[in-house]
Amino acid sequence: MRVLGCLDGTNAEQIGYAAQMFTTAEPLTIGLLTVIDVGPRKDIDRMRERFWRPPMQHQPLTGQMLAAETAAAHETLNAGLAYAKGAETLLRQGRPELEIVNTASEWAADVILIGARAEYGEPPHVGPRSVGHVARFVLDHAPCPVLLLRPLAREQFPINR
Amino acid sequence: MTRPFRWSESRIAMGGAAGLLLLGLIRPADAARTLLRDWNTFLFFIGMMGLSAMAETAGLFDWLAVQAARLAHRSAARLFLNVFLLGTAISMIFSNDATALILTPVVYVLVTRLRLPVLPYMFACTFIADSASFLLPISNPINIIVMSRYPLTLFTFLRLFLLPSLLVIAINIGIFYLLYRAQLKGSFNLEQLPAAEMAVQHRGYFRYTLWVLALVAPSYVIAAAFQFPLSVVAMAGALLLLMGALFWKRTTLAEAGKGISWPIFGFIAGMFVVVRAIEDTGLTIKLGNLLLHLSGGTSFGAVMVGTFGAALGTNLINNVPMSVVMNSSLASVQHAAPAVRNGFVAATIFGCDLGPNLTTVGSLATILWLLILRQRDVEVSGLDYFKVGVLVTPVMLFVGAMAIWLLL
Repeated sequence: MRVLGCLDGTNAEQIGYAAQMFTTAEPLTIGLLTVIDVGPRKDIDRMRERFWRPPMQHQPLTGQMLAAETAAAHETLNAGLAYAKGAETLLRQGRPELEIVNTASEWAADVILIGARAEYGEPPHVGPRSVGHVARFVLDHAPCPVLLLRPLAREQFPINR
Repeated sequence: MTRPFRWSESRIAMGGAAGLLLLGLIRPADAARTLLRDWNTFLFFIGMMGLSAMAETAGLFDWLAVQAARLAHRSAARLFLNVFLLGTAISMIFSNDATALILTPVVYVLVTRLRLPVLPYMFACTFIADSASFLLPISNPINIIVMSRYPLTLFTFLRLFLLPSLLVIAINIGIFYLLYRAQLKGSFNLEQLPAAEMAVQHRGYFRYTLWVLALVAPSYVIAAAFQFPLSVVAMAGALLLLMGALFWKRTTLAEAGKGISWPIFGFIAGMFVVVRAIEDTGLTIKLGNLLLHLSGGTSFGAVMVGTFGAALGTNLINNVPMSVVMNSSLASVQHAAPAVRNGFVAATIFGCDLGPNLTTVGSLATILWLLILRQRDVEVSGLDYFKVGVLVTPVMLFVGAMAIWLLL
């Protein structure tokens, strides 16, 4: 079985534990994917266009941006490896939602593990808009089953009926 | 607006101006007079871009960003506030151009290193660039364009814009905190930051840059107070920094030239000539009369119609052309009561400065294109800016316009 875990920089532990659920499957290959989002760079280019400037690619800061993105991506993958030892790591660059579904297809994933949305220290959110745009896109477009991972939020229950 | 075949705006504007000259719709002498009359605007653009580029070479923006992070004491929320304050200071002294184009990528690198969510901080930079761009006359080139035609004393400028600026900045910060409060609850690890000294490539040139800027900032205020051309101060500052950079071998003339967006001069020159020719057709006068009619001849109407008209126009044709069109149109309101006249001038500055925040990363045409992409199920981050812009900008425009009206 080929399990593809999607790391967003905040969910390494969650993905690692979810991947352990598949340990009975033989043979098991775990892939850890992280995507360098090019969206912010495109936004900066659009902003530059508004001020009649050429795209960022030839600017001195571009190198720093790439270095910071790459370092963050490697750190994310290493954090994932701490919970899923021996996993295959995959680093992509582009729109995360597109890269995840395309990688799942190329890598022949049998199941995708994805967090509902990146969590930056806030309490788990239950309710409308609790699934981010990346997870929503993956649910709609994945070439295989998707396991949506949500943080434990039992203290927020029961929901009023 | 549509940029057929991806032609640059400057090529289109210059082509339009050349066409008008060839067809005899504007006399070469009139075109030349129009361009010479606006020498202050052209020089200011060179000086402003030169100052920012040289300060970037010194590593000033990186250094300031690292300091902002250190002063945040590991709190993501406090860093968010510091980014707003830093953006305000940079817009005030270097103009909105520097905040949007230089500070935004610097902050992007910073928060990526700190493993913080990127978007709230990028939004903070891009929005504060315009929200803080009417604190001083030099905070936005639009102010120079409008004030070249309709001069305001520094006292009048500050009287009309200081309080609205502070209100708009406060609204911007407040709404953004509400929007992103969940993502800003975390903290960051200071060890992931490089030392501030790492940003400084050459200590001597960095110190020299700080001294020159410490000289330029009050010079701007003094020059504005005496209605001395601000472009001269900007150019002098840029030249001083360039000389320092050449002395310490931090740049070359060719390299420094790349820091200036030369096509913008073709675009502005073309726009000035095209609008001058349109003036002869009486079209801009008609627009001015329409604005006056819509305002009902009251100062309240002038501020509201001027603000929202200019803001809408900036999202259709970009703010520089809109300010040139408004400049020309306001000629027909000069016979109105002083409060109405001043109301229109202030509203033009305010609307053209703040209006772009509605569609921060492009014009309405860009947003329509992004909406089409969104319909194809591709998540487009540019649309996030639009959603936030639509939420926050009308509030800022209304509150700021009300404050300007009360201060008229």
